Amino acid sequence: MPFTAKPRKFSAGIIEIPLGVGQNAVTIGGGNVLPLYYFDNPAKNPPAVGVEITDTGVEAAGLPELAAYYEGANTPAERAKKAAAMEGADFVCLRFEGADPGGLNRSVADCVAIAKEVVEAINKPLVIAGSKNLEKDVELFSACAEVCSDKNVLFLSAREENYKTIGASCALAYGQKVGAESSVDINLAKQLNVLMTQLGVQPQSIVMNLGSAAAGYGFEYVASTMERVKLAALEQNDTMLQMPVITPVASETWSVKESIMPESDMPEWGSLEERGIEMETVTASACLASGCDAVILRHPTSVKAIAALIAALL
Amino acid sequence: MRLFDRVFTGSDEMLARAETAVSKTYEKLGDAAPVAFGSTAYYLPCIYAYLGLKVTNMGELKAAMEPIKALMTRNYRLHDVFTSGIATVLAAEVIEACKYAENPTPYEDRYHGRMTDAEVRELGVPLVTRDIPGFVVIIDEAPTDEQALALIKGYQSRGIFVFLLKGAIDQAERCGIKMGFPVRIVPVGPGIESVAHIISLVVRAAFIFGAVQPGDYDGFNKYSFERIFAFVNAFGPLEHITVGCGAGAIAMGFPVITNDTYDVDVVPKSLIIQENVDDLIDTSLEARDIKIKVSNIDIPIACSSAFEGEIIRKADMYIEADGSRMDCFELVRTKELHEIEDHKIEVIGPELDSFEAGSKINLAILVDVAGKNMQSDFEPVFERKIHNYVNCLEGVMHTGQRDLIRIRVSKTAFEAGFRVKHFGELLYAKMKNDFSQVVDKCQVTLVTDPALLPDLRKEANVAYDKRDDRLRSLTDESVDCFYTCTLCQSFSPSHVCIVTPERLGLCGAVSWLDAKATNELQPNGPCQVVTKTRVIDEHKGAYEDVNEAVRQYSQGALEQVTLYSIMEDPMTSCGCFECICGIEPFSNGVIIVNREYTGTTPVGMTFAELASMTGGGVQTPGFMGHGRHFIASKKFMKAEGGIARIVWMPKALKDMVSERLNATAKELYGIDNFCDMIADETITEDPESLVAFLSEKGHPALEMDPMM
Amino acid sequence: MALKGLDIFKLTPKTNCKDCGNPTCMAFAMKVAQGAVSIEKCPHMSPDALRQLSEATEPPMKTIAVGEHKLGGETVMFRHEKTFVNKNLFALYLCADMSDADIDAKLAEAMKVDYERISERMYVECIFVNVSDTQTAERGIAVVKKAAETGRDIIVRCKKPELAKEIVSAVPVKVLVGADASNWEAMNAVAKEKGLVLGVSGKDLSELYDTIEKLEAAGNKNLIINIGGSSIKDAFAAAVQIRRAALKDNVRAFGYPSIVNVERMAPGDHVLQAALASLFELRYGSIIVMGRMTYADALPLYGLRQNIFTDPQKPMKVEPGIYALNGADENSVCAITVDFALTYFVVSGEIERSGVPVNLLIADAGGYSVLTSWAAGKFSAGTIAKFIEEHQIESKIKNRTLILPGKVAVLKGEVENKLPDWKVVVGPNEAIQLVRFLKDYK
Repeated sequence: MPFTAKPRKFSAGIIEIPLGVGQNAVTIGGGNVLPLYYFDNPAKNPPAVGVEITDTGVEAAGLPELAAYYEGANTPAERAKKAAAMEGADFVCLRFEGADPGGLNRSVADCVAIAKEVVEAINKPLVIAGSKNLEKDVELFSACAEVCSDKNVLFLSAREENYKTIGASCALAYGQKVGAESSVDINLAKQLNVLMTQLGVQPQSIVMNLGSAAAGYGFEYVASTMERVKLAALEQNDTMLQMPVITPVASETWSVKESIMPESDMPEWGSLEERGIEMETVTASACLASGCDAVILRHPTSVKAIAALIAALL
Repeated sequence: MRLFDRVFTGSDEMLARAETAVSKTYEKLGDAAPVAFGSTAYYLPCIYAYLGLKVTNMGELKAAMEPIKALMTRNYRLHDVFTSGIATVLAAEVIEACKYAENPTPYEDRYHGRMTDAEVRELGVPLVTRDIPGFVVIIDEAPTDEQALALIKGYQSRGIFVFLLKGAIDQAERCGIKMGFPVRIVPVGPGIESVAHIISLVVRAAFIFGAVQPGDYDGFNKYSFERIFAFVNAFGPLEHITVGCGAGAIAMGFPVITNDTYDVDVVPKSLIIQENVDDLIDTSLEARDIKIKVSNIDIPIACSSAFEGEIIRKADMYIEADGSRMDCFELVRTKELHEIEDHKIEVIGPELDSFEAGSKINLAILVDVAGKNMQSDFEPVFERKIHNYVNCLEGVMHTGQRDLIRIRVSKTAFEAGFRVKHFGELLYAKMKNDFSQVVDKCQVTLVTDPALLPDLRKEANVAYDKRDDRLRSLTDESVDCFYTCTLCQSFSPSHVCIVTPERLGLCGAVSWLDAKATNELQPNGPCQVVTKTRVIDEHKGAYEDVNEAVRQYSQGALEQVTLYSIMEDPMTSCGCFECICGIEPFSNGVIIVNREYTGTTPVGMTFAELASMTGGGVQTPGFMGHGRHFIASKKFMKAEGGIARIVWMPKALKDMVSERLNATAKELYGIDNFCDMIADETITEDPESLVAFLSEKGHPALEMDPMM
Repeated sequence: MALKGLDIFKLTPKTNCKDCGNPTCMAFAMKVAQGAVSIEKCPHMSPDALRQLSEATEPPMKTIAVGEHKLGGETVMFRHEKTFVNKNLFALYLCADMSDADIDAKLAEAMKVDYERISERMYVECIFVNVSDTQTAERGIAVVKKAAETGRDIIVRCKKPELAKEIVSAVPVKVLVGADASNWEAMNAVAKEKGLVLGVSGKDLSELYDTIEKLEAAGNKNLIINIGGSSIKDAFAAAVQIRRAALKDNVRAFGYPSIVNVERMAPGDHVLQAALASLFELRYGSIIVMGRMTYADALPLYGLRQNIFTDPQKPMKVEPGIYALNGADENSVCAITVDFALTYFVVSGEIERSGVPVNLLIADAGGYSVLTSWAAGKFSAGTIAKFIEEHQIESKIKNRTLILPGKVAVLKGEVENKLPDWKVVVGPNEAIQLVRFLKDYK
């Protein structure tokens, strides 16, 4: 008796959300099968890979390959151009590391100028990530949303504490996309989506950032949350969990011990950069397998590998 | 004159003025002359919104007059009042448009005139997020300048954005009030027609933030009603034309509050008379359902969870209020809205300065709350929070509840200026902020007068007793819904608790009342309503509604739950259970073991072993996790015959529940001292001698129907 | 559908004879239902009951032993549904066609990776040796011997039964991969004779299914499914479809663990191989064969595995004790938190980022998070004081400042009472605020 696999597709689907405009747009989400199960039904839009740069550019310190890639690019806009040109890159993520009041505390006006330059410089969609300071990000995003109007930018992220202003100023006032960030809990994720839609933000403007962790650092919670979100969206047709999921992988993985401990401290561990690349790649792959529709990475080697992985699965 | 006629008359007046203005300007500038307010992408926003017309020149403006007039129907129905009101505003916009067509800066500096799209966005974001709780349009002069000053300052201090029209501007100037967009007090214009600029802001907010489409007449009114928290304060004597504009405001959902009584017909929630100007703010906020958050608490010491664990030692304490030695208590009471003066903090009796260091004082803390959604069932929930709030004060310690509280204030706190009245400030702010969904008004009374306290304490005890009676009378049958609790899903994803009055959450921490309050305060939170209308079997506690809820909130992992059974689809557990009961086949009963008990049980398993089978949201018939409180409930495995099935418990647990369990057994079966029939680890840990013990005691389980 | 404990109990003799090693028949029945013990442990079951039960309690996926390790035995598609039972293993890929120097270098490199993370030894458990059809037995044996010298479990892939037989007769091997529709009978004979796990493959799932059915009919249920060839897409599809068929559609023939060779899918591309290994850790690879294993590969992959294969009900715990961070000594400040592994990682990570020397004290709190263990009474002033005493902190550390997690600020007074010599400081609520807190505190 021959065996035939039963394809498992659902009547419900993930919302499709375009980022960027015109020929440069990339659509994330869509599809009605479990993550990467394209043998059940061909992919509507393959998961997207974003390349993260920061306003400060300090991330390349101590990483010769990464520094070499960006060599000669002295401004965020120049780095953004190189990031956009990276093999496998679908979009660029500009992270305002320097805006953190606990750090450089770059002024909103300066950040806005950078955002404007960057969005003009690249031919790929832009994602703007904040400083992780709740108050500063509100100001920063509102101002950036204005200068990037008509560019269909995604802002990462609004949290329960500041979703109102970010939702109103970015999504409602300027029609941008907003990331809804919760910390690895399906119910909190859903609650935030409900609150955002009650504010008037359309589900078509929301991308979920479910929270993440580097491999080995409690990733089981990340995997289970993503898997449950996808199952609820597809199997239970939960419309408040059908927004696509984006995960800023790089900012998690490049700050764990494995990716920052210099080789001189840990000779047996070998090259620091290689460790960081693999930590980033392994985590990104696990995110995609669990249900991410877009990942944000930093290193050209990781970007290439993850893009190759996605292409091989289509 | 009837209100209808006043509106129609006012509306006609505005129309006539608009017609005059249009023909005058048209004559002067010609058909092709551009018409625009500048700095807006929404043409003449009110006309664009309500009529869908893109007016860009004088010809188009002239043509717009017809459809405006068409809205001014005169059928003496409410509908006509509303459409005429909106048309009045549109006519006002026509007049303003003519001014701007003739002169791009028609207003002198002291008036703001039209608003730019940038200003709409700037004000719109905080309006949508409710960071600005709302805005008021003040028209004409208050009876006295002092009242005007108090009114405007009052709104300003509450974060309400203020627009001034006509005489209100002159009055504000006389009072020396600083005005302008940045200070959130905007003098719009000297004539009533400049009201169009304010409505223009509202409709543009609807365009921008609500994506309402041009021409969607109902859509704009719906948006402004639901999302824009505005209202009008119009001082008498009211002119007809003002009443006409007021009708437009009301159509958009903005109530009009006036001090004028002459020829004004009150329309509940819409047209309200408040003769006392000092109460205008409260009346207005209540009419538009605006709640003001307290942003800073006026107390001289820090308040933060970091101080929650502080202990104030005797030597460091300035005063102590100890319910076991003196008359001290705390009580939250629900009142009617009119019975409460918001933010009234009253201290009856001596302040702390009158006491020597180290004194023991009497203290009653009475927190009165009122709100349209307030229910007396929330009182104990709020009251329990007093402990957390007070304990977070630096240099203040709080333990206990009701009339067994003990509060200590340290010398340092006293020296920093802390007084009894500050308890009031703290509790007022916390109640208003943390429970803003239900608390509209709050006042706090603090009594230290020893002469008053004994009686007050008696009254408080009546209230406590009443509450306890209510709790006792709360049964699963007496309520019309249950609640889910999914707080634990982060580590037990497929588990859903169904919380009923007689069955607390299995962690023992979430009662039905807690769940109810949580639901009210966080409508999208972990506690959702579960109706109980579709009964499958009331005796076993099986409901179609409950099954649907567990299916939905477990994301399909769980199909059904029978509330009062441990054999048939028992309720699942997250892992936080205080106790686990499990079937003991030889005695035809169940054993119960609590988390603290580490030994083995007659079923041959320890708490940990039982926990590994029952946790994680899986159904294991014959075994179930539950709260301690549930043991004495009449619903405890009611489907299998109830508490008469309990054959064994650890002694400590038995002692803890014996009083209530004995009472339930007496009521259900007429058995006295039922707990004496229940074995514990001092009697036996193995099934054989358990059966012997039960036989000797004549335990009812032995005679009951087989459990399986 | 597996039987519930009570259904099993009904079939037991109900005598509480304890011959099975459990105190009661009920306890025994519940353990059988959980899959913790086999029904055969009860010597008194009637043959009728046994038949009924072994049928019903037979897990949808068999547990296969490879050396000391167990593979398979999974019951759910997603870990949140219950738990994943047996973690995947890693194997290093060698081929008899490689030069000796290459083989030595690869082995030496992989053997360096041997460390402990949260009480688990992290190392390459298996060596996978590919012996092509054209290779000589002598060479095959030599390479497998070399691999076997490492003491790791050996997997041999060889499709020629005679060649395979010679090799496995000469060197102790645990798994023989290479059975397919063409050679299954002969391969089966080799594997059975030596008691090896037999790896089966097929050109498609249908052929694979047929071959497994034939092997089962021939009495071999000690199998592992060799998934895919060089196509990443096909391998991933097969891994999911086989697991789904076994667990969801009750296709017994697919109820076996799997072996997947990522070196074959991305030859020489270590980064892509790491991505693939990560994918197959989550999606149903039981043995993952890698082209190399360095620390760069191992640190994320083993960390991920440790995460994914934890029981959601039983959080990972770290050993209670003093963790001196950033070169902390006896004069450095102490900070205390719980033994929940995630808490430990996050807190220690943030402290390390701060650069401030801190003695991180990990108290025994049952492996729960701060608030959960506090609520359960496992992290209280009493347990903290007891921990300080039992671990003789006061004699090991001179500093007397103790930073409490902000979430249990409520314990401050009680801790001060129990530890009168200590200055108790309330730390931040969230670990992410630690860097700022420690810097400011300094």
